[in-house]
Amino acid sequence: MDDLTEMLKGTLEGCVLEIIGSEEIYGYAITRRLNELGFVDVIEGTVYTILLRLEKNGLVQVTKRPSEVGPPRKFYALNDAGRAELATFWAKWEYISSRINKLREGGE
Amino acid sequence: MGIQDIIEGKKQWRAHMARVKALPRDYQIVYREMQRYFFKVGPVGLADGSLLSGILDFFEEGVVAGKGVLELIGNDVAAFCDDLVKDSRTYADIYQESISGEPGTAEK
Amino acid sequence: MNFWETITGSDITREWKTFETRAAALPADYQAAWEKIKVHLSSYSDFTGRNLVPILDGALGLLQETASEGQSVHEVLGDDIEGFCAALAGGEGAPSYRDRWREQLNRNVARKLGQLGG
Repeated sequence: MDDLTEMLKGTLEGCVLEIIGSEEIYGYAITRRLNELGFVDVIEGTVYTILLRLEKNGLVQVTKRPSEVGPPRKFYALNDAGRAELATFWAKWEYISSRINKLREGGE
Repeated sequence: MGIQDIIEGKKQWRAHMARVKALPRDYQIVYREMQRYFFKVGPVGLADGSLLSGILDFFEEGVVAGKGVLELIGNDVAAFCDDLVKDSRTYADIYQESISGEPGTAEK
Repeated sequence: MNFWETITGSDITREWKTFETRAAALPADYQAAWEKIKVHLSSYSDFTGRNLVPILDGALGLLQETASEGQSVHEVLGDDIEGFCAALAGGEGAPSYRDRWREQLNRNVARKLGQLGG
């Protein structure tokens, strides 16, 4: 599907949190996961700016690990604050999507 | 790694720039233009070196992944830059606060 | 107290001297631009000098970095040094000036990548 960028904007950070929450992972692999999921327009740079913010806000634990093919990679894992943020994201998502679905079904 | 270190050719900065010169040409061009933009905007992350060295790490990974630089960060390089420093203060902000006499800053 | 007394009459004198040392090593057209930048920033005299130091530091860093690449100072600062300084200090008109920096950044990237033939 084309042109998701605007609509995806506010939720991409939550998606990244969810991916990091399921396994310790590095930036480029996160982008690949999102692309495979069907968000083909998401680029590495966007994910990088999100990761930088997560790190600055103290939501992730960062570990540098050597890579076989190039420079060391930064791996990301959620800490307690990150897990709390992820729970908040899903709660908000539930709320918004249930309201919007209700609207579509013509309910009150 | 403050701006001062950068300019006075401190060892750390020379090592940093040596890494920049090892990048493919398209990466070098974009890196230098971004750096110049940040010198003007003056985000506080510039002074401790975290901003620039983070970008360099990120670019080096992109090279290893075999991507072109714009493929990595998108065509709107300025938007990428702004995203990187979105919630970081700038020296201009700090200066403006100091003259407006906001709480915790110098008296007007 | 005027700008220069504020700057030089305090503990930041030392920093100020290193600025002048750095500026002295610049090419002539860059030195002229540096003088203009100082004059314009001095119109922001209602400040504590300490907070202006990082802004001057950044401006000088920009000049040094660009000079080392052998570019003309005009390419960096454009015609409107006063506007440039206002933007550096975050004053009135700064947002529109930042837009110009954005455009300049993307234009330079497009041009230089184009020259690369890629």
